[in-house]
Amino acid sequence: MKQLKLAYTTLLAKHGMGAALFIAIAVTLWVVVFITLPQLSMLNYSFRFNLPVDQLGTEADHYTLEQYRSFFFNADGSFNTLDITILIRTLIAALIVTVIDVLICYPIAYILAHGAKGVAARLMVIGLIIPYWINEILRAFAFRVLFGSTGVVNTWGMQMGLWDAPVDFIRADVALYCGLAYAYILLMVFPMYNAIEALDHTQVEAARDMGSPLWRVHWRVVLPMAKPGIVSGATMVFMLTAGALAAPQILGGPSSLWFTQLIYQWFNESSNWPRGSAYAVVLLVTCISFVLLMMRVFKVSVGEIGK
Amino acid sequence: MNRHTLFGGAYALAFFSFLFGPLVIMATTAFNSSRFPRVAPWECFTTGWFGELFGNARLMEGLMNSVIIGVGVVALAVPIGLAGALALSELPAKLRSMLYTVLILPILIPGVVLGISTIVLWGQITRGTGAGFLYNGYFLTIVGQITFVSAYAMLVFIARLQRFDATQTEAALDLGATPGQAFRKILLPFMAPAIGSAAFITLLASFENYNTTVFTVLSESTFTTALASKVRHGTDPSLSALAVIIITLTLVGALTNEAYQRRKEAESGGRASRSPLYANPVTRALTHPGIVFAILVTVIGGISYAGSQYDSSVCEAAVLQEKLDRQEELRAEQRARIEAQEAEQQSTLPKSNSAFGGAFGGLGGGTPAPEAPAAPKPESPSAFGGAFGGITAPKPEE
Repeated sequence: MKQLKLAYTTLLAKHGMGAALFIAIAVTLWVVVFITLPQLSMLNYSFRFNLPVDQLGTEADHYTLEQYRSFFFNADGSFNTLDITILIRTLIAALIVTVIDVLICYPIAYILAHGAKGVAARLMVIGLIIPYWINEILRAFAFRVLFGSTGVVNTWGMQMGLWDAPVDFIRADVALYCGLAYAYILLMVFPMYNAIEALDHTQVEAARDMGSPLWRVHWRVVLPMAKPGIVSGATMVFMLTAGALAAPQILGGPSSLWFTQLIYQWFNESSNWPRGSAYAVVLLVTCISFVLLMMRVFKVSVGEIGK
Repeated sequence: MNRHTLFGGAYALAFFSFLFGPLVIMATTAFNSSRFPRVAPWECFTTGWFGELFGNARLMEGLMNSVIIGVGVVALAVPIGLAGALALSELPAKLRSMLYTVLILPILIPGVVLGISTIVLWGQITRGTGAGFLYNGYFLTIVGQITFVSAYAMLVFIARLQRFDATQTEAALDLGATPGQAFRKILLPFMAPAIGSAAFITLLASFENYNTTVFTVLSESTFTTALASKVRHGTDPSLSALAVIIITLTLVGALTNEAYQRRKEAESGGRASRSPLYANPVTRALTHPGIVFAILVTVIGGISYAGSQYDSSVCEAAVLQEKLDRQEELRAEQRARIEAQEAEQQSTLPKSNSAFGGAFGGLGGGTPAPEAPAAPKPESPSAFGGAFGGITAPKPEE
């Protein structure tokens, strides 16, 4: 509190009354009204029953663990394997997508930082950004066109004789994984690029001169430097993939639900807001703990994300 | 070393094929007259899907809503992001990293969670105060989006602030400016380019967002949510036409921006006179960003006009005719097969009432014919005919 006051006086002295007040009010509004209160309100809601409007505030309206219980257990007391499996599968899929993105983006980030020069580098940056400007829905749609039963992949595959009958890539979730990996490539490349670019290229050359093979140069020299970038990018990709809704809705197979789709169903199809809130809290807590765990494992702090 | 460059080039090529391949294929399907978005089989070159796109009332209404919401989000998120960046720059290290974590969190929180928490909070506020006017799709979407869009704006401002030379402000203060004057005359003008790019990024983020908006928009719809529901409930190539439009706009923007950046760099670096491109008055004028933009717009305008005049109905009629012919052919084949089957049955079952079976078989083959032009599916008449054939054949045995 004292420090906040101190910071405010510094702002006052530096930028004047108007600016300091504006900064203080805007940041408070953002932190309290837009970030904190909604989350608390959702948490509060997740501990309540789903009641009709006229029963709100009556005796029936008290705190309960019912919504969370129904996530873990069925009505008959057995484990709710259906929903728990969906959550675990979502996390594993998000992890797979993240790993794919790390693998395909690392060489590009390295080439961009140390290989490409002048026009080529500029073209590459523009080429990376342009797909990101296309609407998320349309990007998913593009993969549906690509992987549909009469899509390009099936047509070419059959023409080349790789397979005889059209393969259902949508049902096999291939389209979904590709679409998700595609969607967040930019978020992986740029943090990596920023980290790798800080590496002095003479270090790579020195290692090469000493006779180190290429893989060891990357393992011992480039990767340690890229680590904060990789973790930062991986965190963003993982969180966005686990929280994706549009791509699973458009590209997901009929038999595999994403956890966000479950939340969506509780809200929009079953109109059970407390249940939906509880599921949202479960998703949020699981994702954040997973990311924090990973950061502990790789020894990176939260402050490095987004840089 | 050369081998590595080659490998790097090949990898980059593969990588960018993955980035652009799906977009190119999707864009191509916009010009195929096939009702399902696909490249092969190619039927006719058509521009009709663009007309169908503009005729989609729900998308156009969503576009209007998106513009309203986008303006609201930019107007609020940019100042909030600026305030966040400035606040961070003055806080002591420990508090700073704490606030940074809190402010950056909305980018990482799943959009679904942000949307839910927003409608839950404002729903409760509405019930508590009776302020029903707050509970509408526009307001909730703006509030929900600001939560994380402001963080994007903040990141842009932080990057710009890192290059700010604080001694400028000190000099202004020493020379007798009030802190307020120094803020308005030194810091804000320095931040101006960042304000522009922050506004652009926030507008784009607001426009594109689906996960949060699909909850907060309630019964209204934005462009993106309307698009998503269209994709989910059956696809047609008018979406590819939309992609063509967006890709074109993006390319125009990127090329104009590139021309602008190049020129600025060349001029500020003092290389303008040395570079042959900028020394020659003709090429110098041609590479001016305004001219580049004008040329691109003219070319695209011309192509669009030519495209709107193009009539693919002759070709489409030809393709339809071809399909009908093919169908007729299949039906003839079918009939021949049924007759052959009957002939076989007649020979194996000599006691059966052959005249009866023959009449039914003839009917079975003949009845679908009048409906055929409406349903150009080669499989359906054959299945129908097959069923009839199957029914008629055993009957005489009774």
